[in-house]
Amino acid sequence: MSDQGNVDKSVVVRVENVTQRFRVIHERPDSLRELFSKFLRHRVSYHVLDAVKDVSLDVPRGQMLGLIGRNGSGKSTLLKIIAGVYKPTAGRVHINGTIAPLIELGAGFHHELTGRENILLNGLLMGYSKEEMREREQSIIDFAEIGDFIDAPIKQYSSGMHTRLAFAVATEVDPQVLILDEILAVGDAAFQQKCFARIQNFRQAGKTILFVSHGMQTVIKYCDRAVLLEKGSVVADGDPTQVAEVYQDVVSARLHPLVHADAE
Amino acid sequence: MKELVVETYRYRELIWALALKELKIRYKRSVLGFMWALLNPALMMLVLTVVFSTIMRFAIPHYAIFLLSVLLPWTFFSQSLSYAVESIVGNGELIKKVSVPKLVFPVAAVVANIINLLLSFIPLALLVLAMRHPFYATWLYLPVPMLALIIFTLGMTFFFAAANVYYRDVAHIIQVVLSAWFYVTPIIYALDFIPANRQWLFKLNPIIYVINGFRLAVYYGLLPRWQSIVASFACAFAALFIGFGIFRKYQDDFVFYV
Repeated sequence: MSDQGNVDKSVVVRVENVTQRFRVIHERPDSLRELFSKFLRHRVSYHVLDAVKDVSLDVPRGQMLGLIGRNGSGKSTLLKIIAGVYKPTAGRVHINGTIAPLIELGAGFHHELTGRENILLNGLLMGYSKEEMREREQSIIDFAEIGDFIDAPIKQYSSGMHTRLAFAVATEVDPQVLILDEILAVGDAAFQQKCFARIQNFRQAGKTILFVSHGMQTVIKYCDRAVLLEKGSVVADGDPTQVAEVYQDVVSARLHPLVHADAE
Repeated sequence: MKELVVETYRYRELIWALALKELKIRYKRSVLGFMWALLNPALMMLVLTVVFSTIMRFAIPHYAIFLLSVLLPWTFFSQSLSYAVESIVGNGELIKKVSVPKLVFPVAAVVANIINLLLSFIPLALLVLAMRHPFYATWLYLPVPMLALIIFTLGMTFFFAAANVYYRDVAHIIQVVLSAWFYVTPIIYALDFIPANRQWLFKLNPIIYVINGFRLAVYYGLLPRWQSIVASFACAFAALFIGFGIFRKYQDDFVFYV
C-alpha cells in the first residue's frame, strides 16, 4: 500500500483496517425460557472472537486475487464483509464499481422454481433489473447447457446442472468484481475448462476476481496474487508461488507464521 | 422512513418476484393452483352464509356480508403477520449469502397477501349480488381503508419479524395474540353491542379505526367521519414508524442470529 496515493483510480476493492468481532455466546438463549433461566442465574457467558483482525487490502482493477488459508482463518468472513453481507465491527470497505453481492453461487435459488424463474430471482437479488436479466437469459441458458430443463423446477436438476446455471448467472451479469468461493471444484472437466476460459475473458476485460481456494495448484496457475490469512490476519501477501509455500508451512508444520515482507 | 420508501422502490422488482414466489410455493402441487386464492374466501363465505342464515340467526340482516366486510381485511392482517414473522428467519440462508436490504422480505410477504386480499373481494362482490344486498357506490372508497390497513400491517410486520430473529418464541406468541385480538375487535359483532360505558376500552384497540371503513363502505354504504379516517392513518403511521424504526435499528445484526 506504499503507492496508495497514485493508484486510487485503479483500486477496485479497498479494505481498510477491517475487524469483524463475534461474540461466541455459549448456549445463546434461543427462546424466552432460556433467557429467563439465564437471567435468573445472572449470566450469559461468551467469549470474543476476532474472525478478521485489522485487515487492510487493496485490490487493483483486473487482478485475480487468491485468498488462501486454513479452515477458520477468516477467508469467508472477509469475503462476506467485502460482499456487504456483514457490516464490519471496525474499518471500512470501499468498492469502486459494481460487485456481485453474493458469496455463494446460486444463493437464492429455490428448488420449486424453474431454471428460468431462478435466473430472474437470482439476478434481481444481485440488484439487476428484470429487463437486464431478460436480455441475458438466453446466453445464460446457452452457457449453462441446460437445454429444455430450463422450464423444469431446479429440484429436478443434477448437481452439475445446478452449479453450471449458478456460475452462468453470476458471470453473465457482468459485475466489475466477482467473488468465487471454491466453486470450481465441481462440474466435469469440460465445464471447468469453460469456466476458466470465461474467467480469463473476465480478466482481459479488466474485471477483478476474488477467488477462495484450497487448491494451491489452481491458485498458482490462475491468480496474479495470493493473500494468506491465518487467525484473521494477513500473514503473507504477494506472489502466489511464494505465498503457497508459506501456506504449506502453516498447514504441515503448524508453524507460527512469519509476517511476509510483501504484506505492508 | 425515507430509507423504506427509497429501498422499496429500488427493489420493487425483487419484492414483486419474491411475493410471486411465495404465492407460487403456497399453491404448489395443488390441482387448482392459484384458483385457491379465490376459492378459499369463497368457500369460507359459503360456510358462513349457511351457518348464519340457517343455524345461528342473528338480528343482523345479511350477516355474512356484515361479517365478511371486516373479516377479509382481518384475514389479510393476521395472515400477513403469520407469514411475515418468519420472513427474516426463513430467509436466513439467503441473508447470510447475499447483501440485500432486509426490508424486502417482510415487504414481499405483505405484498403476497395484498394480492390475496384483492382477490378475496371478488367473491365478496358476488355474494353481495347473490344476497341482493345493495351494491353501494361507497365500494369506490375501499382503497382508502386498504391503504391504512396495509401501512398498519407493514408496521406490525417489521416489528414482529425483527423480534422473531432474537426470540423464536415470537412466532408462536403471535398466534395467541392474533386469536385474542380477533375477539376483542368488533368483527363478528358490532361495537354497538358493547355497553356504552365500556366502549372506550374497545376504542383503545388501534385496528378498529383501520378496519372500520371497510364495514361502513361495504355493508352500510356509508363513509366514515373524517375523525375516524384521521385516526386510522394516525394508527397506521404510528405502527409503521415504531415497527420500521426498531427493524432498522437491528437489521445489520440479523445476519448474525439467523
